[in-house]
Amino acid sequence: MAGMSGKRLQKELAKIQGVLPPGISLVSAEDLREWQMDLIVPDNPIYPPDEKYRLRFHFSTNYPIEAPEVVFMLLSTPERKIPMHPHIYSNGIICLDLLDKQGWSPVHNVESVCISIQSMLASNTKAERPPGDAEFVRSNRSRPRDINFLYHDPTV
Amino acid sequence: MASYQADQLKEQGNAAFRNGEYLEAEALYTQAVQRHSRNPLIYTNRANVRLKLQQWDGVVNDCSKSIEITGANAQNHKAWYFLAQGQLGLHHPNEALTSALTAYDQVLHPQPTAKISPKDLETFSAFVLKCKKAKFSARDLERLRRQGDLRAELESMLETQRQRDLDEVTTQLHRSQLGNIEASERSQEISTTLDDKITSLRTVFAAADPANHKAREVPDYVIDMITFEPMHDPVMTKNGHSYERATIYEHLKRSPTDPLTRDPLTIRDLRPNFGLRAACEAFWDSGASEWIADWS
Repeated sequence: MAGMSGKRLQKELAKIQGVLPPGISLVSAEDLREWQMDLIVPDNPIYPPDEKYRLRFHFSTNYPIEAPEVVFMLLSTPERKIPMHPHIYSNGIICLDLLDKQGWSPVHNVESVCISIQSMLASNTKAERPPGDAEFVRSNRSRPRDINFLYHDPTV
Repeated sequence: MASYQADQLKEQGNAAFRNGEYLEAEALYTQAVQRHSRNPLIYTNRANVRLKLQQWDGVVNDCSKSIEITGANAQNHKAWYFLAQGQLGLHHPNEALTSALTAYDQVLHPQPTAKISPKDLETFSAFVLKCKKAKFSARDLERLRRQGDLRAELESMLETQRQRDLDEVTTQLHRSQLGNIEASERSQEISTTLDDKITSLRTVFAAADPANHKAREVPDYVIDMITFEPMHDPVMTKNGHSYERATIYEHLKRSPTDPLTRDPLTIRDLRPNFGLRAACEAFWDSGASEWIADWS
């Protein structure tokens, strides 16, 4: 594995296999390039406490200098929905500044990204999709990090 | 004329190298050296191909020759870097570390005409770390081996003493200075005492053996927050946080911001952190390899 990502990911994995904050769990990391994590959102009626959401992390060889690609996955067994949120499209793409080129910093890691997404969901009050969701899902062909989102709502 | 022919052969050698024809490339560089033996680049290039062929002795010779031609203080970071790899191949981690640090230093403070490729600093920095790990794990192995030798020697001395004491009892028995029952009690006592001594000796050595120590946490302050590796050349940002020089450089190339605060930050704002550097050295000296069993 080229670049610094291999060793860094091995160490993150070793750490994550120990302890994780409540509501966050590692599902798989058989391939160091792609990990899956499950999230539970506490204390928010929009998200039932028994419902888990599956995140897929994809790492380039330049991780952590480059941000990972992080999306929600839609699965039938076990059932995993895409959580309703004004910054999460129905195809799982998340609009969060820390995941894009400008907002990313190499001191972030899988755990801190999960915590940020969890708290973004926990503080959400609107069970809705971003404006233009249907159009975006139909037409988007870019990878998430190449999309220029408009952060029209900096309060979320 | 000779130098022109040598250059032609070197170019052919480079082409062969790029095609992965390492034996062919090595032969061409050798011909080039025979034509004109004062061009350091030919030696450096042959060292590179010999690395691929794992001919470590040849690598070390070629790099030494290249460095001898340019002068030990002249910019020749590739030769120093290949030399370090050759020395590590020959299991000389101390020499390898010194060479790797020279290469790193030359890339960090290059002469104005030097050709440095953008990934050199990161690559060399990672190699310095590799040499450090090799050096300290070799040192610990050596210590264990010596400790093992010492233990064996002490145990054999105790065994000799046991035999001498038992012989003494036998002699006294034969001279009828001791009765049968008394002699057997004495022998029993001698053996028990010596067994106890050997047990204590083994306990003491086991307690001193790092392999029997519980895994310790690597202190956070020696760890670079970007690579999660121990640091060897930490630099500090304006907010007081330190990073390994090569990795923060890599980040600043992409985004000139402080990783924690997002404030504007450039290489010129960074300062070496000598205190932390000393602390990192102390960490390595304290038997780092026992902390980092899973780190190599």
